[in-house]
Amino acid sequence: MDTKLKNIKYSTGAKTAAFIVVWLCVMCVFGSGMFLLYNHSIISSKSYYDTYKFKTEFNILLHNIVELKVKLKSEESIKSSGETEDVLKNNLQRYYDLEKQITNTVNFAYYIKNTQTGETITNVTKTDALALIQKQPSAVYYNQLTYEPDYPFGGDIKQLLTGTPYEVYAAVIEPLKQGDVFYDDFMTYSKTKTIATYVNVLLVTTIILMILAFIYLVVVTGRQEGGEITIPFVDRIYTDVYSVLVFIAALMSLAIARSISFHHDLVGLYVLALVFGIDVLIGLSYILSMIRQIKSKQVIKNTLIYIIFDLCFNGRAFKAWTLLLLLGYGALNGILFAMVRSGHFLLSLFAVFLLVAFNIAAIYFSAKSLLSLSQIMKAVKEISTGNIDYVLDKSEISVAFSGFAENIQSIQGGLKKAVAEAIKGERMKTDLIANVSHDLKTPLTSIINYVDLLKKEDLNSEKAKEYLSILEEKSARLKQLIEDLIEASKASSGNLAIEAEKVDLHELVMQACGEYEEKINKAELDVHINTADKNILISADGKHMWRIIENLLSNVVKYSLPHTRVYINIAKNDLYGLLIIKNIAASPLDIPPEQLTERFVRGDASRTTEGSGLGLSIAQSLTNIQGGRFKIEIDGDLFKVIIEIPLWSEK
Amino acid sequence: MEKLNVLVCDDDTAIVDALEIYLKYENYGVVKAYTGIQALKALSEHKIHLVLLDIMMPDLDGLSTTIKIREEFNIPIIILSAKSEDTDKITGLNFGADDYVTKPFNPLELMARVKSQMRRYTALGSLVSNSKILKTGSLELDPEAKELRVDGEIIKLTPTEYGIMLFLMKNPGHVFSTEQIYEHVWNEPSYSAENTVPVHIRRIREKIEINPKEPKYLKVVWGIGYKIEKY
Repeated sequence: MDTKLKNIKYSTGAKTAAFIVVWLCVMCVFGSGMFLLYNHSIISSKSYYDTYKFKTEFNILLHNIVELKVKLKSEESIKSSGETEDVLKNNLQRYYDLEKQITNTVNFAYYIKNTQTGETITNVTKTDALALIQKQPSAVYYNQLTYEPDYPFGGDIKQLLTGTPYEVYAAVIEPLKQGDVFYDDFMTYSKTKTIATYVNVLLVTTIILMILAFIYLVVVTGRQEGGEITIPFVDRIYTDVYSVLVFIAALMSLAIARSISFHHDLVGLYVLALVFGIDVLIGLSYILSMIRQIKSKQVIKNTLIYIIFDLCFNGRAFKAWTLLLLLGYGALNGILFAMVRSGHFLLSLFAVFLLVAFNIAAIYFSAKSLLSLSQIMKAVKEISTGNIDYVLDKSEISVAFSGFAENIQSIQGGLKKAVAEAIKGERMKTDLIANVSHDLKTPLTSIINYVDLLKKEDLNSEKAKEYLSILEEKSARLKQLIEDLIEASKASSGNLAIEAEKVDLHELVMQACGEYEEKINKAELDVHINTADKNILISADGKHMWRIIENLLSNVVKYSLPHTRVYINIAKNDLYGLLIIKNIAASPLDIPPEQLTERFVRGDASRTTEGSGLGLSIAQSLTNIQGGRFKIEIDGDLFKVIIEIPLWSEK
Repeated sequence: MEKLNVLVCDDDTAIVDALEIYLKYENYGVVKAYTGIQALKALSEHKIHLVLLDIMMPDLDGLSTTIKIREEFNIPIIILSAKSEDTDKITGLNFGADDYVTKPFNPLELMARVKSQMRRYTALGSLVSNSKILKTGSLELDPEAKELRVDGEIIKLTPTEYGIMLFLMKNPGHVFSTEQIYEHVWNEPSYSAENTVPVHIRRIREKIEINPKEPKYLKVVWGIGYKIEKY
């Protein structure tokens, strides 16, 4: 139930309805407000006779009657007044007009009395005319001293009576009868009064409704069904740009309203209402948009000014910043140049001075920035070449690049950490292997010793002797394995000292072959050494080189097909001394060459032959740590190892 | 002749027992110890001529024990250790040990080293000094008798092997390339010397060295040549 309510509360339909309600209410409030304001005098008056309109009509009529009856009197009196012909004609015309007007009124009653002669003039036919007039709420009395000051033209009437013995009583006789302006006005008045009460009610109701709907909108705007805040597309418009647009729209409608207000016609009113309606629409959506922005706390962040500042001074896109600077630089130079050309001597002098100073400052700061950049570039180069401890002097870096420099430093920090951890891990691994090997060696010593002692005992059984020889062989193998393991872990982790010397490759191969002569003979192999150049000097550690060749020759002896030839070629290229060993394998090699240098991989899958499977791996690692390259090629039964070791160069 | 006593010190009893058997085969008297402290105590109680000492031991390790022994005795000390790094060997020798053998060792090799050290120790000063004799460590070459002796024992050499040894012993510590050795010994240029010299050298090593793979006297300088170590 709750969620259902909530869903309705946040539904787009409800929001749209509320929006329309608010809009309608605003229009309504405005309309009724206009109506009340327009009919202000009617609404605030106690009765029809209090209205300004009535008083004006009434007094104009009264004035005319007084003029007619007191001043002009009759055709004969005008003609006999002895005025010039023009005035006479004029007065006659006036007389006829007034006569006509008086006959048009039905509800108006007057009573004029000559206080000297007692003569009376009235349009009331009844005998008690004076009493009837005085009884009316609209009754007035004038003579040459008295007048109604809050009636328009009251003073004029008084002026007409000045110097005459007349006094005037006048009123509108109730009930009003149809047929003249008073009756019409009275009907309009009564109607307006009645409408005004309704309009008042309407005004109050719509104000309340508008406030409620608006509060609802304020609460729910920006929230989706479910309550989370979402920002509609219109809010993507930058707040300041939006504000300016709304302001311009308001100005435009004001201008329209002004031009229309001179035409008091119905079309103008409709156009005005339309413009106002659109304004309300824009204003309302603007207010709601602002409220949403406040809710999502991005009023300031969403301004164009903020974003420009952010881009410029938070170092996120220094390109934009540079662009602005360039614009500013160009503009300022332009202004200064214009000042130089102004012709005014002092101003020109001042401008020249400013121009020079400004340009020197600009060059100075850009040079400083470029210097910072080049420092950062230098640091990056140092770091990329492996000097991860390079210190970037931050005090030399200008503000524009400080963020960049910081980022470089944090990358450097991460790199340092990673390298340190990798080294630590590798060292731990090597230490672990060394420790484990050490712990294996002690019991192995006893095994070897006691196997040897057992051999010296009198063993009657032939089988016991056979078993013993197996034990001896395997313990020797175990010993070799452990040694190789340590060597391999050291070589692959680079945890090995290298003392590079000037080594004669030919001499080395000779020595190695001398060491292996017996084993080669035993394996019934024929070794051919081909030396292209007897003086190939390489930069290597002799002991490591011997270990490499020893491992390779050991493989040759173990895996070569008997009665075949083994070729050892010595050569060099521009950078490396080359050692190539080729032999024919006794059994097919079904392993890809890359796998052979992996640890514990051996040419024979059955692993029956002796060897740890570490020989080639050690040879490769040792070659690599001496800056060389190690490659194996297999072509059918031809097994080929190519070793490249950097040539010796006198530094 | 008085029986020569060897002090065997290792925290692994199986190793100590095995060594006892080997040493007794060779007619040495054996004193056993299992810690550094025990070894020092045994030295004060018995007349010892040689010490076999493990490094990793409880209470007092082998290196500290070596220092303590050296404060009083001049007897040969052979260190037995599972630590096979070159730096470990150098440290051991610098601390005053005479030899360094890594575990697991070949019992026969160890016995050869014991005998060698024992001969050097007991024969000290008894040798007749002859200025013409070429000497390094306990390797001696007598040009007059055309004899090569190691620890006083005569080694049988072929004439070529003798020629090589004579040439190298005349310049101890100096490295000669295969070519140089060939030209001096064969007295002719080495057109196709191939591996003649290295093969001879290996054979000599097998005759004079206890462990030819880790020679004491006739050393290979890989990729450069050969030399006689100067002691």
